[in-house]
Amino acid sequence: MKISIKWLNDYVDVNVPIETLSQRLTMAGLEVEKIEKVGGDTVFELEITPNRPDCLNMLGLARETSAILNVSFNPPKINPVAYPKKKCDITIDDNEGCLGYIGALVENVNIGKTPKDMLARLNALGLRSINNIVDITNFVLLETGQPLHAFDYDKLAGGKIVVRRASKGEKIVTIDDVERELDPSILVIADAERPVAIAGVMGGKETEVTASTKNILLESAYFDPILIRRASRKLGLSTDSSYRFERGVDKEMVDTGSVRALGLILELAQGAVLARSMTGALKTKKSLKKILISLDEINHHIGAKLNTAKCRTILKKLGFSVQSDDRNHFKIQPPPFREDIKGKPDIVEEIIRIIGYDNLPLTVPSIIMSNISVDPRRGKRDKIARNLCSQGLNEVITYTMINQAELDRARQHHLAGQKIQNPLTQDYEMMRPTLLPSLLSILRNNINKGQKNVQFFELGKIYLPKKEQETLGILLSGIKSIDWRDEKPQVIDYYDLKGIIENMFLDYHLDLKEVSFEISDEEYFCVGQRANIILKNKRIGVLGQIDEDILTDFGIKRTQAFFAQIDLETVYRYKTECVHFIPLPEYPSVQRDISLAVKKDLSAGKIMRTLREWGKTLDGMEIVSMRFIEKYEGEKIANDCRGYVFSLQYQSKKQTLRDDDVSCAHKKLCEKLVEHLSVIIR
Amino acid sequence: MSWNFQQIQVDVQNDADNVASSHELEAFRIKYLGKKGLIPKIYASMGILSKEERPLVGKNANDLRNHISQILEGKKQEIKQKEKLSTREDLDVTIPGARANLGHRHILTQTIESICQIFVQMGFVIQEGPEIETEFNNFEALNIPIDHPSRDAFDTFYLETPDPQQKERYLLLRSQTSPGQIRTMQQYDPPFAVVIPGKVYRPDAVDASHSFMFHQIEGLYVARDVKMSDLKGLLTVFCKKFFGNDIKMRFRPHFFPFTEPSAEVDISCYICGGKGCSVCGRKGWLEIMGCGMVHPCVFEAVNYPKGKYTGLAFGLGVERIAMLKHGIHDIRIFYENDNRFLNQF
Repeated sequence: MKISIKWLNDYVDVNVPIETLSQRLTMAGLEVEKIEKVGGDTVFELEITPNRPDCLNMLGLARETSAILNVSFNPPKINPVAYPKKKCDITIDDNEGCLGYIGALVENVNIGKTPKDMLARLNALGLRSINNIVDITNFVLLETGQPLHAFDYDKLAGGKIVVRRASKGEKIVTIDDVERELDPSILVIADAERPVAIAGVMGGKETEVTASTKNILLESAYFDPILIRRASRKLGLSTDSSYRFERGVDKEMVDTGSVRALGLILELAQGAVLARSMTGALKTKKSLKKILISLDEINHHIGAKLNTAKCRTILKKLGFSVQSDDRNHFKIQPPPFREDIKGKPDIVEEIIRIIGYDNLPLTVPSIIMSNISVDPRRGKRDKIARNLCSQGLNEVITYTMINQAELDRARQHHLAGQKIQNPLTQDYEMMRPTLLPSLLSILRNNINKGQKNVQFFELGKIYLPKKEQETLGILLSGIKSIDWRDEKPQVIDYYDLKGIIENMFLDYHLDLKEVSFEISDEEYFCVGQRANIILKNKRIGVLGQIDEDILTDFGIKRTQAFFAQIDLETVYRYKTECVHFIPLPEYPSVQRDISLAVKKDLSAGKIMRTLREWGKTLDGMEIVSMRFIEKYEGEKIANDCRGYVFSLQYQSKKQTLRDDDVSCAHKKLCEKLVEHLSVIIR
Repeated sequence: MSWNFQQIQVDVQNDADNVASSHELEAFRIKYLGKKGLIPKIYASMGILSKEERPLVGKNANDLRNHISQILEGKKQEIKQKEKLSTREDLDVTIPGARANLGHRHILTQTIESICQIFVQMGFVIQEGPEIETEFNNFEALNIPIDHPSRDAFDTFYLETPDPQQKERYLLLRSQTSPGQIRTMQQYDPPFAVVIPGKVYRPDAVDASHSFMFHQIEGLYVARDVKMSDLKGLLTVFCKKFFGNDIKMRFRPHFFPFTEPSAEVDISCYICGGKGCSVCGRKGWLEIMGCGMVHPCVFEAVNYPKGKYTGLAFGLGVERIAMLKHGIHDIRIFYENDNRFLNQF
């Protein structure tokens, strides 16, 4: 909303410098966004919040200014004129869409130029001159906020006005020379034959006032804000008129605006008013609900000590009528153009915004302990994130929206993401049901920008048909860490990813014995390089090497990348007990290695589980730790076998173990392995 | 047999001076103190000396033996030091250390964390809510009627998923963290103070300052007798703690459907110090958050007894604050996740 300071000065005495006025308006909730010099005038561009349609005109802003500067407000005198009572031919078919329509028929107008003064005002606010009639309607719109429209009366078929919904397929060429297709959701002003204006939005070309116009019909009406808003959106057409109607114009202004415009027309374009009538149920005189509030309540709400006189002065300046029987209680009647004022907090805001929020006191409350406990997920999530950072991974935050093509490219077409009805672009048409496409996109971005070594994690959500689920995604690709002492850089592989996950679980105090990794059949991983992560018999995630074709399809110039996705909701639900201290051993442990040739279908996991189980049954000692220390595949071993070496630590709680005893127990264990799992001791 | 102790002293000194290794030192020890060395020889020869000579020679021999022992000890240390030095390689101490990879939290996470922590210190509790919301929680309960122009500011993505609780309605992606207020109030009775961080979505075309996905932090404090001055106090403490004690602040009246009175909080631009620059749009002020006193309609929507409680609420955009604080000029960079960007924070 633009205002001209010269114009403003017609109604209030702006007795402060421009900068001060700008600052005071801003601090009263009418933010000045831009100050421009136009000719000899200054123009403010204001941001008017949607609750203040009354400020979308010069008079409204003059009223505000008078309250802010505490000066008097002198609106132009608009005298009611007794016009001929003859009726215009107006029918309202849609009484909800149009509450009231005032038509005035003016004969023999002289179409001509607009006087300089009025023109300067219009130009300052960015409007160009059309002719005196149209300029007057625009002037009154800017002055009073009441949108008006003038028709060339002789071009209205049957000389009549019908306010109705458009029929399907009806068309109109609007004054901007665009042909627009209408439908029954749109309210139109029609004559006997066709629409001549889109109600509240824009007039039609065929009936516009031109140099040859003799007689005009001046429209001043109240249209339903919602209807106008929908029409404006549907047509993609926002005008000075629709902008005001959809925010709600002052119902009293329908009449006043018409009178004001007619006065100007008679003055500047002569002519004679032949008929003027109001059709519809609109009550132009209407009182809003009174609000009862006490000074104590006001002061209590803001924690201040204002006095009665101050509050009363401000409210009166803003157009409220204030009654008070004593010095404490107010009975406040908001003016008709302030439909946003509905209750006590609104009254409080009116008073304090004029005083200035910055002039109010400030207190720091001591907040009582809430009876809400902290969301436990936060601490758990934080622990996981810290751990992954400490393992060298960077946290990423990716867009949660993807598209079907990406899902297909990631070989996850079987997943159903929640589709968006009104996506911004087809690229972001659904909420992702998996983290893989998001992470692959950023892998591609990084590689394209020369960032070749990528170790990322995201603590994001995936969106499944019935729920949004917090999920961890990990993506690794490239060299593990660049150490100049290494002869060859270490390229990331499956075991790096698995190690990171195991470390994370350890740090989370999740008992690794309850986690198992089993061969997976997920298609987006390379065969033989993929595993399901199982926690207490429930699959909580997957990890593996991403299928090369997927990388190619995503435009990633790389053959190896590793991905894991873990359902954190299940991890969060896992009960981690308070860590119980285990006394440190008093006696030394004894180490024995065991080197096996193992058929490829026997997993290390199985061997370790078995050893751990048997370790519990040893006599006088136990296996306190077991490490996997070597994997061998090559010529020294049968083709269908792998060589595994485990290192076991034997220990007793009661004594220092004798070498012979350990050797004996170890030997038995080895024999048992050979017997039960058909491994070969190497 | 007579002993020229003076000469011996000289010989000892010369021999000692020639010792350069622990091997030579051992030879030196054997020559003088070994079983067949000079000192034992001197002692052995004393039997044939006269009564008068004996004490004198004995004393000289003792002195000599002590002297040699001292030399031995000194030389031993000297050689040890020398050998320590000679067996070690001289490092180039300036070669970069072998650093393990260092991971970083995303700057948005860090910003959320540091903002929330300030409120936690003041007694707030962190809550979270879902991103997929109902129209009721995102709009109606927050006093935002359908088809009201104020909805423009909260343009919304709708899902194709029907709202299970309301016929002919669809679920949506929350366009603000404020539905978290509703969820908190539906679940708990006051007093409480919560901050609710999270992702929000609006169908804004992406450019340097707009993103269809971004983060907000919502704050809500409801109790009996919460006052407007409390709102000013809390947010002033926050701004000073987060942006520094020197910043200036102002509370500017604004409109939000769910608060009344409502305000926007501006801080003095700390690029230009308030003089006006391109970052603050020549205004000298930076808008950083919206706030206000909870609208009675909101309490009504969650069925709180009429007039029993008052509350304050505020909301801020995390990206905007991170951009201001760290001098980031393009919001898109947060979601590009370029390693070089991530490594900076």
